[in-house]
Amino acid sequence: MFKTKNLFLLVTFILIAALVAGCGGGQTADKEEGGGAADADVVKIGFLGDLTGDTAVYGQNTLDGMKMAADELNAAGGVLGKQVEIVVADHRYDKAEAANIVQKFINQDKVSAIVGDPTTGVTKATAPISNGAEVVQMSAGATGLGVVEIGPYVFRNTLLDTVGGPATIDYMINELGFTKVALITAVNSDFSVGLSKIFKDAITEMGGEIVIEESLQEGDTDFSGQISNIKNKSPEVIVYSGYYTEGGLLMKEARKQGMADIIMIGGDGLQAPTFWELGGDAVEGSISYCGFSPEQPTEETAKFIADMQAKFNKEADLFNAQGYDALKIICAAMETAGSADPKVFVEALAKTKEYPGVSGVTTFLENQEPVKSPVYLLQVKDQQWTLLKKVPVEM
Amino acid sequence: MLSNLLVQLINGIALGSTYALIALGYTMVYGIILLINFAHGEIFMAGAFVGLMLVTVFKVHIIFAFLGAMLFCMIMGVIIEKIAYKPLRRSTRLAALISAIGVSIFLSNLANLVFGAKPTTFPPTEEILFKIQTYELIAGAQITNLQILTIVTSAVLMVCLQYFIKKSRIGKAMRATSQDYDTAALMGVNVNRIISYTFAIGSSLAAAGGVLVGIYFGVVKYNMGFMVGLKAFTAAVLGGIGSIPGAMFGGLLLGIGEMLAVALGLSSYRDAIAFGILILVLLIKPTGLFGTQIQKKV
Repeated sequence: MFKTKNLFLLVTFILIAALVAGCGGGQTADKEEGGGAADADVVKIGFLGDLTGDTAVYGQNTLDGMKMAADELNAAGGVLGKQVEIVVADHRYDKAEAANIVQKFINQDKVSAIVGDPTTGVTKATAPISNGAEVVQMSAGATGLGVVEIGPYVFRNTLLDTVGGPATIDYMINELGFTKVALITAVNSDFSVGLSKIFKDAITEMGGEIVIEESLQEGDTDFSGQISNIKNKSPEVIVYSGYYTEGGLLMKEARKQGMADIIMIGGDGLQAPTFWELGGDAVEGSISYCGFSPEQPTEETAKFIADMQAKFNKEADLFNAQGYDALKIICAAMETAGSADPKVFVEALAKTKEYPGVSGVTTFLENQEPVKSPVYLLQVKDQQWTLLKKVPVEM
Repeated sequence: MLSNLLVQLINGIALGSTYALIALGYTMVYGIILLINFAHGEIFMAGAFVGLMLVTVFKVHIIFAFLGAMLFCMIMGVIIEKIAYKPLRRSTRLAALISAIGVSIFLSNLANLVFGAKPTTFPPTEEILFKIQTYELIAGAQITNLQILTIVTSAVLMVCLQYFIKKSRIGKAMRATSQDYDTAALMGVNVNRIISYTFAIGSSLAAAGGVLVGIYFGVVKYNMGFMVGLKAFTAAVLGGIGSIPGAMFGGLLLGIGEMLAVALGLSSYRDAIAFGILILVLLIKPTGLFGTQIQKKV
């Protein structure tokens, strides 16, 4: 009895120690970044994103891009003579946690602006909070519907699905000649539901035919049923509007069931190495659109790619570029307005015209929607996204 | 349509046989100590990760990885029982249940810390096992060799278990303990050891399920135990918790039900339909399909 009790106590202590260590770690990390809360000599910009969850690839890359931009600005004297400080928090792709973080950014850290989250779902869940508190929130990746409509303080710097989606479908139908389409939607993702609607309209408008519509839940791993249904209708192409994890697994399942040559066409949600890590050979030839490509770069973009390589030892991607541009666009607006107060510089920000960023040229329309040019169509070749075509966009 | 239904039926049997393997662990533990072992789903997850590690890091053959994962989880199940449930055996049932939920959260968070939140891939099947081939059945329906492997492995394990429970001395002692814990103890059955055996066997079956699911779907993730655990638990309740044939049947029924929902074009409602079946069965037969009247133990 005595022994058992001791063992039990020991384990309890270990568990408590683990818990305390876990919480403690989180707190120190927060403090480190948010240390000078009352410091007026810095301009604080919150990073809202996912560093450990399902969309961690996007979050981490956005943050790296922002760090790059902040370092460049600080080296050149900062914004309005103040240093730029990024306040980092990780919401683990949990919308409730993201809402807490935004509250903390506004009330505790008193940030001037928030950059993030790269996903439409989290942005839609958190932007009403920052808009209500009159703090600028700019998503560097939310491509779905109904984002900037939230209010005058909500912006995004990304190629819109309404531009990229139809461009991709146009290429699929008119250049590849695929007209019999299987359309798959992740029903628990705002991004996927919105993009599916855009794909569907574009397909029917351009004379394609959707032979089967399937749906899945993000987070599932068993898609054998959906693929069997799709195979039964023998489409020429699979169009999937969701993210890379399910995209890779879907294609793997398709190959497993003997659909040997079919390719997947999707949105920029497929843009992560996880896509081929999960899908392997099955995702070779898959096509998606994107607002950034390291191939055939402009002068600014070439410099950015070289700098990213030097600083982080990795090839720059879309989220690096959009995070970098988002931070710089906000800081440019602060300089123009002569203030880091979001109530003041929001007007200058809304008037941004033809900003030459590394992720393309950006203009904000009257309704705050960005227009970016060009659209890049990319294809997976030997486990890399390679440039297929550049499609210019009218401003 | 017919061929698609047949294909979905086969998909359902493959999925259901993995549910059944995991459901056995829930039902065996419940049968003996009336505890719903919520950590069981995490044991399944641990099995998948151990199998994956053995294949990718230690480069052992998939069969040894399979057996290694079963052995690891066998020990893990016994340790969990000794640490988290045994000290609470004489306290209220709720205390042990909460302890089980605690273990479950602890394990999935631990896996998140160790392996990260990104899904990890199993090596392609042609590297570790064989090249995937499809075989034509009647009416244009197809089955893959991977599905055959999943179904056959599950079936073999379940037949072994049934034989073990019915024929071996330990199996008899298990059945005795399940019928009446105190009387079995009075008759000279070492109930503590029997409980350890139960956890060991249940956990090793979950590990087998984990490796099979890892190979079948090609992906392993820290939170994979949660939903599968819930489904397997549902399967166990569906078949009548405490009943071993019930767990097998419940698992298959749940898998087939889910896939038929997909076949009918209701892919986004598959989980709703799986749990809907549970509610329906419980309304009509509250003890589950194979369940016997629950006698309240004093």
